[in-house]
Amino acid sequence: MIKLQNIAKIYPPNVKALQQINLHIKPGEFVSIVGQSGTGKTTLVKLLIGEEQPNLGKIIVGGWDITNINHAEVPCLRRQIGVIFQDFKLLYKKTLLENVAFALQVCGQTSKKINSIAPQVMKIVGLENKMHRYPKQVSGGEQQRAVIARALVHCPKILLADEPTGNLDSINANEIIELLRKINKFGTTVVLVTHNREVVNKLRKRVITLENGMVANDQAVGKYLL
Amino acid sequence: MFLIFFARVIKFSLQDIGRNIWLSLTTIIILILALVSINLLLTVRAISSTAIDAVKDKIDISLYLKSDSEENKILALKAEISNMELVKDVEYTPKQVALESFKQKHKNNPEISQALIELGKNPLSPSLVIKPKDINQLDELIVNLNKVDDDIIESRNFDDHKTMLEKINSITNKISKAGMFISAIFVFITLLVVYNAIRVTIYTHRTEIGIMKLVGASNWFIRAPYLISSLIYTLIGILITIMFFYPFLSLLQPYLDAFFIGYNFNIIAYFNSHFLIIFGLEFLIAALINSLTSLIAVNKYSNV
Repeated sequence: MIKLQNIAKIYPPNVKALQQINLHIKPGEFVSIVGQSGTGKTTLVKLLIGEEQPNLGKIIVGGWDITNINHAEVPCLRRQIGVIFQDFKLLYKKTLLENVAFALQVCGQTSKKINSIAPQVMKIVGLENKMHRYPKQVSGGEQQRAVIARALVHCPKILLADEPTGNLDSINANEIIELLRKINKFGTTVVLVTHNREVVNKLRKRVITLENGMVANDQAVGKYLL
Repeated sequence: MFLIFFARVIKFSLQDIGRNIWLSLTTIIILILALVSINLLLTVRAISSTAIDAVKDKIDISLYLKSDSEENKILALKAEISNMELVKDVEYTPKQVALESFKQKHKNNPEISQALIELGKNPLSPSLVIKPKDINQLDELIVNLNKVDDDIIESRNFDDHKTMLEKINSITNKISKAGMFISAIFVFITLLVVYNAIRVTIYTHRTEIGIMKLVGASNWFIRAPYLISSLIYTLIGILITIMFFYPFLSLLQPYLDAFFIGYNFNIIAYFNSHFLIIFGLEFLIAALINSLTSLIAVNKYSNV
């Protein structure tokens, strides 16, 4: 599903964010990418959503070589990957339902389809009673659920979660991880980027550890080692 | 597909204007102030141009005729001069009319009235008052008038006119140049203010623009609502400016009537006759600036 071959990302003047990254994530896998701050986790996410391009190597997502993806193709890539951010990145002038619907509107889906799908996804993440509220009118955990709903709404094959529990208390964090686990059970490949030891250890799934921009460890059923 | 895109763009644009109502109002108010300033400048230019024309219209050449000239000869001379290419109009003032006018003019001066009574006869000559078609061709007209050879002409001294005309031309040229310079600076400042207002509006949306890009919105899907919003701001700005400006012109008109006595200058009629050019151009230019600024600003923040 995701292949990274000998990836390197260097920021000027000579900051090596990632070096010699070789990874292969299979369809339906749940992979946690862990590491301390500044080890290149977020850079890896940026490479996968086309926000950055590598200086070296090759990236293949869902059979599509996105190594040198051009600007016009980036929206198309992002419509195929669901992304969850630590800081939610919700549109604060839109309601939760409108945020979810927006992800379908950008794809040109018909209003009929949007009006049918978006409320259903809101129900799946447990926000059916709060979907007409604005992001500032709900808790952090609920905002993150809305972000998951937005990421899921066009049935992506890959779900990237960049520190999804970073701004949440432990109860909300557990609920979000449970939700991701459920999504994975339905066949979606989940890539969880985190430094939350408790979450990773509880998952008992594949763990890739990054250290100084390189893969330090890759365990099929791993633990947070750092 | 295009219809869905277009309908959504309009919907997002109206939603954005409504949900950011204070920001929208501020942007519209800045646009209105800029447009009112431009229209005030136009009003001042129209008034000053009319004032200059009024002064130029006062310039005429008087040809004084002998007191005992026969009426038919005077009328023949008048016809001859009227037929000249550079002459707009010739007005004949008989000596009796000249005397009545003189008396009326000096009715409050008893010494002049007394002198006229003591003189016992009309000392004034009949005259032809010649108005040129084009004030800039006055020299040529004077040359032509000097060529007219008729024994009823008493005097044709045109030197005073030449000096006066040179002074008027010099003053009007200076006024015109200063006006152009001030207008250019003013328009430039107005453009900067409008440009900045739109940039600030988009700046407040920078996070949203980035988020839209991250969830897969294409550049045009992000840009288009802002373009539509800027067009709506411009349209509302122009309409409100027109609504406020015409009552202001109505208030101004009585003062202009008092200032331009004898001249038919109507500032409302001026704006009416140039309505499409003035407000159409203002709309086009403002819409163009707003759209370009929106594009530049959105591009800057959608680079994620």
